[in-house]
Amino acid sequence: MNDEKKGNSLQPEDTPSTGIRPEQEMAELPKAGPENAKHSVPTAMKSFEAGEAIKQQVGTDGLPPLSADHKPRPDEVVSCIAVKSVSGKKPQGFFKEPSPPAMEMAPRVLRYRTRRDVLLFGAGAVATLAGVGFLLPQSTLSRLGVRRNMDSPGKEWFLNKALRIDDDVAEALYSGNRTVRTYTKSQITPLKNNYNGVTPDPGYISEWNLSLDGLASGLRISLDIRNLTTHFSVHEQITRLVCVEGWSAIAWWAGLRFDDLLRAYPPMSQAKWARVESSVNLDTSGNPDPYFMSLDLATASHAQTLLATHFNGQPLTVDHGAPLRLLVPVKLGLKNVKAITKITYAAEEPGDYWATRGYSRYDGI
Amino acid sequence: MSHLIPIANEMNATSTLPVQPGVLVAKRHHFLVRWSHWLNVPILLGLILGGISIYWASPVYQHEPNPNTGTFDVAADIGIWICAHVPGLHHYSSPPDWIYNHMSLGPGMLAIALRLHWLCAYLFMLNGMVYLAGLVMGGGWRSLLPRRTDLFDVPRMVRYYIGFLFAKLTRRKWLHPRFNTKYNALQRAAYFSVPVAGFFSVATGWAIHKPMQLYWLAALFGGYNAARVWHFWLMWVFILFVVPHVVLVFADGWDTLRGMIVGWSTKVERPEVAANER
Repeated sequence: MNDEKKGNSLQPEDTPSTGIRPEQEMAELPKAGPENAKHSVPTAMKSFEAGEAIKQQVGTDGLPPLSADHKPRPDEVVSCIAVKSVSGKKPQGFFKEPSPPAMEMAPRVLRYRTRRDVLLFGAGAVATLAGVGFLLPQSTLSRLGVRRNMDSPGKEWFLNKALRIDDDVAEALYSGNRTVRTYTKSQITPLKNNYNGVTPDPGYISEWNLSLDGLASGLRISLDIRNLTTHFSVHEQITRLVCVEGWSAIAWWAGLRFDDLLRAYPPMSQAKWARVESSVNLDTSGNPDPYFMSLDLATASHAQTLLATHFNGQPLTVDHGAPLRLLVPVKLGLKNVKAITKITYAAEEPGDYWATRGYSRYDGI
Repeated sequence: MSHLIPIANEMNATSTLPVQPGVLVAKRHHFLVRWSHWLNVPILLGLILGGISIYWASPVYQHEPNPNTGTFDVAADIGIWICAHVPGLHHYSSPPDWIYNHMSLGPGMLAIALRLHWLCAYLFMLNGMVYLAGLVMGGGWRSLLPRRTDLFDVPRMVRYYIGFLFAKLTRRKWLHPRFNTKYNALQRAAYFSVPVAGFFSVATGWAIHKPMQLYWLAALFGGYNAARVWHFWLMWVFILFVVPHVVLVFADGWDTLRGMIVGWSTKVERPEVAANER
């Protein structure tokens, strides 16, 4: 429409103009009487869906298509207005709040839209409620009075999928060259014994061995603690250990680098993972409950990943995983296996004690 | 928009039928703002329920174990106090868990709480971007910007709300302060603070979630432990916002609620509109 184009060039977009400058409107539409000038500007409808609908309607009604030279008579425009602009002010500055364009709407249109959107809203609310029922754990639902069993494989699949996205994000954030912050001795904080089950009896220490499997040599190697402490250089670090539960502790550790062990006893060429296991772990009733977790070799060879033998300057106590524990500060505490007895290198990602219990398996922090 | 055709037809064809007078309406919220506003309800609920279950695993506010109750968690103490003092709860089976049974997924559910919390956290971030897009596309961000006059107008609004009930009870006239912007100064302060709180919740969340790789972020909030405390109290900003927000929307009536569902408001009382109409 000719008028529309003219109007747009005069007005900023989305700022319907009417009533404010009647002289201008009248100049564009010379036939319009002053009382009509208020409504009769097609520009006013430009930014509103309803206005567009009216244009469509005009087309479908068999009226001549709106060509560039077609100039609607003012009364024709007025007659088919369902929504028309009444006010609206140009914003006076970029940050100034403009007064929103008020417009006149046929009550039927408003009722129709209200009904449509409220119904849509209700449908969305029902869908959300169903989604909540689908995602919430069964015990929470039963406390809310839901009797039916809502557990489904789909729930597990969906939540695991979300967890893997988070793992991918964590992996993308990780950089092998970035070292975690180290602290000074004055910043050391107490570290509690967080053995999940019963702390094992120290009897195992005297017969302790570390076995390595999945090596390039194809051999199975067994190392005692003297081997590990005398043939490798000792590294010290004061780093923060962060638990999945939320607490953390700054502690002073010393031991050999996992990377040095990887160099001394290289894993088979296709290996990408290490399965780190402690067979001395006990469950809450004191029965053997081997603890195992997966560690990618990129993280294992990080400069701050230690096989720690000392804690706060003293040999490790049973509480902290004597005689050898993993210290991997770029992972959550649950990956820091105490009293390691076996490391197995593998090409495929091995199982993980806590992943089978619903936790993440990457656990990079 | 075919739904408009019959209406327009009717109006076109029959000049004899009485034409209903139009209603004055104003566009209130962009549809992306409305959608993200409502999506915040389940997302925030999931974040808070899961978050308090995560809090249970290692409460920020702890004390030496109480020799009588054996608890070390302040939230457990509050639960015990509630069960001891609220009528009808004296026989509650596990008073220390009362808070967690009523404000979280439940105690001892860390694994599932973490998964739900992260799922909701990603949705919250996406939703926040949708909200910002809606603010920009609809131009609504301008109405949220604090302005210098708010320094005086916020206390006026606070005074209005404080005196409101008293005035009602004593049947005195108590006028709402006049303003000619989309929101009054107190609303503006609240609606501006919530996205800001959302931003900081996300930032502190990342600081806790990846304290090693994003050490700098944790350091901005005073380190890992301090970031946890920030994150905890930012949750309260949402709770303390939502309660009066919901009460006031219902007190204000259907038009305000419709503004957020349908997008239109019939409250058009701008002075310039009035001038146009006369």
